[in-house]
Amino acid sequence: MPTVVLLDSSLSMTRPVSVEGSEEFQRKNLAVHGLTMLFEHMATNYRLEFTSLVAFSSLWELLVPFSRDYNTLQEALNNLEDYDKTCLEAALQGVSNVVQQEWGTSCPCQVVLVTDGALGIGRGSLRHSLQTVKQRVDDKKFPLPFPFPSKLYVMCIANAEELQATDSMDNLEQLINLNGGEGQIYTMEGPLCLKSVQSMFGKLIDQAYSPFHAVLRCGNLTSDVQVFPRPEPVTIDEEVDPIPKTVQTEGDEIGTGATDDTEEETSTNQMAGKSPNFCVLLHGSLKVEGMVALVQLGPDWFGMLYSQADSKKKSNLMMSLFDPGSEPLPWLGRMSQLGPASDAAENPYGEDDSKSPFPIQPKHKRSYAQNVTVWIKASGLQTDVQKILRNAKKLPEKTQTFYKELNRLRKAALAFGFWELLKSVAELLERECTLLPDSAHPDAAFQLSHAAQQLKLASSGDSKYAAFEQNITPMLTDFSGGGGADRI
Amino acid sequence: MRIFSVSHKTAFVVDHCPYMAESSRQLIECDMLTKSRSQGVIPLAPVSKSLWTCAIECSMEYCRILYDVYPTKKLVNYIVSDSEVHILNSWKQENQNTQELMTALAAVGPPNPRQDPECCSVLHGLVAAVESLCKITEYQHESRTTLMDTADRVANRGRIICLTNAKSDTHVRMLEDCVLETIQEQNKRAAGSDRLMPIQQCELVLVHIYPQGEETLVSDRQKKELSSVLSSEVHSVRAGRYLAGKLNVLVQQHFDLASTTITNIPMKVRLTEEQHANTSANYDVELLHHRDAHIEFIKSGDLHMAGSTSRDSGLKETVTLKWCTPRTNSVELHYCTGAYRISPVDVNSRPSSCLTNFLLNGRSVLLEQPRKSGSKVISHMLSSHGGEIFLHVLNSTRSTLEDPPSISEGCGGRVTDYRITDFGEFMRENRLTPFPESMVDAACRTPVERAKFQLERHTRYWPMIISQTTIFNMQAVVPLANLIVKDTLTDEDVLTCQKTVYNLVDMERKSDPLPISTAGSRGKGPKRDEQYRIMWNELETLVKAHVGTSERHQRVLDCISACRSKPPEEEERKKRGRKREDKEDKTEKNGKDTEEKGWTTDSERLKGVMEREKDEQSECEIIKDSPDSPEPLNKKPRLATEEQQPPEKSKGPVSLLTLWTNRITQANSRKHQEFAGRLSSVNSKAELYQHLKEENGMDVHENGKATR
Repeated sequence: MPTVVLLDSSLSMTRPVSVEGSEEFQRKNLAVHGLTMLFEHMATNYRLEFTSLVAFSSLWELLVPFSRDYNTLQEALNNLEDYDKTCLEAALQGVSNVVQQEWGTSCPCQVVLVTDGALGIGRGSLRHSLQTVKQRVDDKKFPLPFPFPSKLYVMCIANAEELQATDSMDNLEQLINLNGGEGQIYTMEGPLCLKSVQSMFGKLIDQAYSPFHAVLRCGNLTSDVQVFPRPEPVTIDEEVDPIPKTVQTEGDEIGTGATDDTEEETSTNQMAGKSPNFCVLLHGSLKVEGMVALVQLGPDWFGMLYSQADSKKKSNLMMSLFDPGSEPLPWLGRMSQLGPASDAAENPYGEDDSKSPFPIQPKHKRSYAQNVTVWIKASGLQTDVQKILRNAKKLPEKTQTFYKELNRLRKAALAFGFWELLKSVAELLERECTLLPDSAHPDAAFQLSHAAQQLKLASSGDSKYAAFEQNITPMLTDFSGGGGADRI
Repeated sequence: MRIFSVSHKTAFVVDHCPYMAESSRQLIECDMLTKSRSQGVIPLAPVSKSLWTCAIECSMEYCRILYDVYPTKKLVNYIVSDSEVHILNSWKQENQNTQELMTALAAVGPPNPRQDPECCSVLHGLVAAVESLCKITEYQHESRTTLMDTADRVANRGRIICLTNAKSDTHVRMLEDCVLETIQEQNKRAAGSDRLMPIQQCELVLVHIYPQGEETLVSDRQKKELSSVLSSEVHSVRAGRYLAGKLNVLVQQHFDLASTTITNIPMKVRLTEEQHANTSANYDVELLHHRDAHIEFIKSGDLHMAGSTSRDSGLKETVTLKWCTPRTNSVELHYCTGAYRISPVDVNSRPSSCLTNFLLNGRSVLLEQPRKSGSKVISHMLSSHGGEIFLHVLNSTRSTLEDPPSISEGCGGRVTDYRITDFGEFMRENRLTPFPESMVDAACRTPVERAKFQLERHTRYWPMIISQTTIFNMQAVVPLANLIVKDTLTDEDVLTCQKTVYNLVDMERKSDPLPISTAGSRGKGPKRDEQYRIMWNELETLVKAHVGTSERHQRVLDCISACRSKPPEEEERKKRGRKREDKEDKTEKNGKDTEEKGWTTDSERLKGVMEREKDEQSECEIIKDSPDSPEPLNKKPRLATEEQQPPEKSKGPVSLLTLWTNRITQANSRKHQEFAGRLSSVNSKAELYQHLKEENGMDVHENGKATR
């Protein structure tokens, strides 16, 4: 996930720290030293992550937009200038804007705030911001919580005692709370020196930037993989199942199906070597066959592997994580019920690969797939009545369609307790019967009066005629032999 | 939404008392067609729905939308109340569909206006609804059984939607009091039962329906907490379309739904029946879905920018998205971040059914955010899977996945001879298919576990690159290779495997060339007979990996072990004069005499009697992967075994004494260098003065090295 480094470049950062017997350092130098360490770590272990650098004082400035080029980031860090006072709220708003413009609001981001813990005085200070947080109007809301999923790490170039002496620590803690508790405050232990700043950033790296190594396993074929971005633990239902689900590092490739969807990425790490790697084999075959492989990430958590190519025809193995659960994609059914096709009595893919057992059809069709009757709007009802009348005029050719529509209306009217409609349609049919032209087929008259009579009987509510499952069937007449051949 | 939130259980209580038979006074003209055509015919009087009909069709619409968007885990219990209670379905998932409810409603029929109003009341239904909310659903049961000691995390909450015609505000209060009282009563009862759960939270939604043109006797009231368990709200609505609108808003509120209107849908229209003139017009279709599909708009605050409009009810908002000419581009799919089921608001209108049928036929529609500026942003896609339509959310901003490195830059990326096609075949053999819930095999393994076992079996010996294998490059081996990985073999399968082996023997006799890779080795690569030895070793490795599966697998290995010892005469003739092969002759001579028994020694070996043999075996397996240097090491175990087993002793089943003697002999043999003569002996008979026949003594020397 992308990182924004928000670096305090206010004047207080130039305060010297006393180091015995060596040259004098400013807090800023310590901050730069720590960040250099972070950037070096990312350049080696997190090559694919995007990082941007924002410096702030009373104003804020985007020094490096999101980039994978850690040299540029390092350079900007080295050329940092000093400005005036600390004004955190505006800077956080800036971070929020920068992230949203680049990644939208669904991409999780890490924000690393590096500061000396002197959070300003008076208007624009963090203390002032927090005091007024509840009195904001809509367009001047405090930027936290960020609208995107985020972690806020505060790296203090100060030790805890120093921060606790003022209300700085309280204010920073309040900041983390405002972000939904997502984040952490790091302080320096012991004297302010290069060593302690290293140890502080080391902790951050362990916590937030440890590379995700895993083993991809397909039976006895295995491959070590690194996953970018790192899959984070997920909590689905904090009430019933409050423990966050984490991706197990032993990925079990289970088998293959054929589907579509996505979220995250895998790529093999860059250990040089010419020895064969299972990932490359798998990727090649998935690409050639146009298949995806299911991968199990933990109990009841699955994902899929597939080959993804970019516009430059460079392709790599991608892993998409499904929502944790036993049935993440309804059209695949319950994951635990997917078994080897060779166990099936008959090859579900067909002998010539012409079939597929997927997608699984739901037990009940959705309303839009089953021709339901809805008369909420008058037009719905009118259309249904007209359909019957239209077919009535074309009897006996349309006998089947006529009865089909008639029965659909009858069923709905019975369910809705709308007997008045049945009587009314019966009358319409009787009138239609009287209006038949002389040229009309004699069967037409028989069918119309039969249908009208049956509707009237149904409208009486008499259980003999008003049974829901029962249908009105065409009257058998001497003529209907010829009329029965029409299409439905 | 948490699974056991208030929305898990919805009890509908519909009043079936005589007053519900009253007309809604909303008139519907259904005699339309004739009016325009034949003059002189008096049109029929319009029809009007009763309050009951209005209540039923609106509640059915609520259920239809609910079931479309949540086919499982959101349950409805439908109750009709008059002088008694009619419970039309249960919490069971199998009862959750509108067809079943419609059938049951037809059986109830409209209210009987002649029934004695004194003994009819909606109260019976409300009491039944509370009782029903206490009943445990299959999901609650399942969760409680799986959670065991933390079973108390499974909550019991629910909602009662009561459609009635109340007399007054006092009447409403009486209904609320009754529900509250019943909950207290029932909770006491439920505490002592296994199949019942006390209600922790209940939302009562009272909808008072009154005919059009009348003044309402009941006032609207916002949600109010009546107790820690019960909250109640009152909606006073005119029958007809107002009621439909109200329930549509309620279903959205209750189930976290949001609305999207697809605009600019091109649709061919037939103006009238007779005209057949096809013209195209643009239509709008409104869809409901989970509101998370709009999360990006909501969070970024530009819900309005996305074309959201407030509509008549004031409560309802819809986001307008524009239809884009259909095209399927798989790249778009890769940035899909979620898929949500939809339900059309106006399900059987022509524009709706045109859109849904288009999607159900397997087409997809991309949706664009209408923006004032020129740039076009595709934010959603409609597509169906297995007869269900989903609104897919596409990432419309920059992706962190952009510009990934090519896989060829990574580990193993420079290797060029992966068995891509073979692995494709392997994947097809291991494809998954759904099995019915009940299907568990003898070992109680779920289908997915069986799939993993199958993968394990199929990959026991699976070289990844072409130059690592000989047998998988040979068409002749395919029948055996396909069968040996199976869990069980039939006698017929064994026969097929044996035929494969005989076929290979035949090839060897004819000295057919083998597809051995020459990559990495100098010159022409190994000679023909060495090639065959590599092949046989590899085949043995493959079969050995499966030998533990069944006795029949063992028989295949036995067959190979027996057959790979070659008939010596012609071999010998061919090899005469070739110095390098001399040691081979020794083997073959041995082989000739022990041809029948060769396999017994092999199976003995597998029994793991002799540790040293085992070590050698594993050594063997390491080597087989490398085509470059298998020769001398491969010879070693073979010679060693054959030498140390006096052939007469390996006939028939082996006794404990034999095993022990062999072991001692073997141990002793390590302590001294074997006599050159015995080493080269056949049946313990050594040919003297060999060096006179041979041109030099290389073979002896080599053999000495081999047993060192």
